[in-house]
Amino acid sequence: MKDAFLLVYRNIRERKTRSILTMLGVVVGIAAVIAIMSISYGMEESITEQLSEMADLIIVRPGKMSFETGYLELGSFTDRDLEDVERIEGVKKAAGMVGGMQEVEYRGEKVMVNIAGTEPMDFGAVFGERIVKHEEGRDLRDNDRKVCEIGYSIAHDYFDYEIGVNDRLTINGSKFRVVGVLEEQGGFRSNVDSQIYVTKSDALDIFNTKDIATIFVRVKEIGDADEIANEIEERIDDNHKLDDFSTAMTMGSAVESLESIFQMLQVFLVAIGSLSLIVASLGIMNTTLMSVMERTHEIGVMKAIGAKNRNILSLFLMEAGVVSGIGGVLGGVAGVFAAKVITIYIHAAFNVEIAAIVKPEVLLGGVAVAVLVGILSGFYPARKASKLSPVEAVRYE
Amino acid sequence: MIHTENLSKTYRMGDVEVQALRDVNLEIQDGEFIAIIGPSGSGKSTLLNIIGCLDKPTSGAVFIEDIDTASLSENELAEIRREKIGFIFQQYNLVHTLNAIENVALPMFFAGVKREMRLKRAEELLVKVELGDRMYHKPAELSGGEQQRVAIARALSNDPEIIIGDEPTGNVDTEAGNLIMDILDGLNRDGKMIIVVTHDAEIAARAGRTKRMRDGRVLD
Repeated sequence: MKDAFLLVYRNIRERKTRSILTMLGVVVGIAAVIAIMSISYGMEESITEQLSEMADLIIVRPGKMSFETGYLELGSFTDRDLEDVERIEGVKKAAGMVGGMQEVEYRGEKVMVNIAGTEPMDFGAVFGERIVKHEEGRDLRDNDRKVCEIGYSIAHDYFDYEIGVNDRLTINGSKFRVVGVLEEQGGFRSNVDSQIYVTKSDALDIFNTKDIATIFVRVKEIGDADEIANEIEERIDDNHKLDDFSTAMTMGSAVESLESIFQMLQVFLVAIGSLSLIVASLGIMNTTLMSVMERTHEIGVMKAIGAKNRNILSLFLMEAGVVSGIGGVLGGVAGVFAAKVITIYIHAAFNVEIAAIVKPEVLLGGVAVAVLVGILSGFYPARKASKLSPVEAVRYE
Repeated sequence: MIHTENLSKTYRMGDVEVQALRDVNLEIQDGEFIAIIGPSGSGKSTLLNIIGCLDKPTSGAVFIEDIDTASLSENELAEIRREKIGFIFQQYNLVHTLNAIENVALPMFFAGVKREMRLKRAEELLVKVELGDRMYHKPAELSGGEQQRVAIARALSNDPEIIIGDEPTGNVDTEAGNLIMDILDGLNRDGKMIIVVTHDAEIAARAGRTKRMRDGRVLD
């Protein structure tokens, strides 16, 4: 066995450039598949993790999502809707949010920003268990007037000048003092980064309305969320005497549908990655065929001195297997590396934190697939080599 | 003992049929040193290839120790080549990626002999052909005569009874050729059957018996 490997190794080394190029094909194929799988596992994990934090949340919006019309908003909620929702059994907390896009001025620069107004005591319902921490400053308080908390991107990216605590923004003609800057959220909570939070009474002033744009509901039992969501829709629709006036979306069902989308996406991406493996296997076949052709004479000699067909077959299969096996190992390393680089890039470009998850079974599977691909694509040339007639092969120069 | 019965071989080269061997009947005794001479195209290499189990006859039979080789499968023929026959080519035909000792050990590798045993025996054989100091040289680093001696050592690797040489001295100078013939003589004295094809009358003279071939026939 050791000598067989020696023989194989010498032959691979003898055709160094070609072997490396063939190997490279396998490296790219395996690396692509492993990187894709690791990143999509990481994405799935981070999305479901973020969403499951919100699994007890039901977001109620006035309007309906449909494929024909997109999101169709039919009006807004009233205090009565909010009170009715709070009374539904199983609801832990409900909070109404008043808000919308509004022009905000800072040092002469005007930008449209989403303003969200809610009672400070209701933040728990809006943000859930995971408290949004401050980079600087403090939370809003119930009796605060004309002050605001701003999201990370508002503070750092929206305006030419950085905004900090005690700076003043002009919203709809009134000055608002910044009391807090929130930490960067990113991912599914990236909307928090680009919002300005004010108290509900200030928001009512700004928008000159009593209408509630969104109701955030937290349920006691996650398992009841779907049922409660249905009930919320029914109550509110009754209040407004309209079918389909409201949409109550549970995050739990969002998690499920996202997971199935991810599985499909994974299959699709891996299929694309596998294409490069098919190309690589053609490369192996080609290289092995060339190797067989060039070594016809040598094969003849080996047969003349007593090599059986299966000796020759196994030598060439090993050669293909070793080349693709090494390619597989290097591809695994390259895949892990590529996954890291891509997640860094995703973080830089989209501000989404994804930790690539490299599963050992994926790595081992990748190497195994590489060896298998090598042996399978080496089989035809190897068999061809083993079937050569010794007398003709020896004569071949 | 080897004997052939009405051995014939026909090649087809395009539309032309070439009769390389015609009804060859030949008997070679164990321990005999026989030289087959004749002009090129007389069929001597074809005869050697068929006796050496590299090729199959079109008709007729070859018996090696009463085994009808025509009835054997490819694998069984490979086993005969491996165990009973040592082949020496005019072009040496060493595996150029392997050094001398690895080349000599190769037939034992195919025979499944353990590594230490292989290397030990390969070393002994190289010493026997006076290449004890060249064991780790690649073929490209050896002279033609040295390469041929490595090839002889390789032919002896599985201790076969029959050594077949197809113009073994054809590519080397006289001095190296004489050394090679001395080695073959020695092997013959040790009891090996030696069959050599040559067109060098001097070489043929060293054989115990000489057979002349012409147009695919063995002349008496």
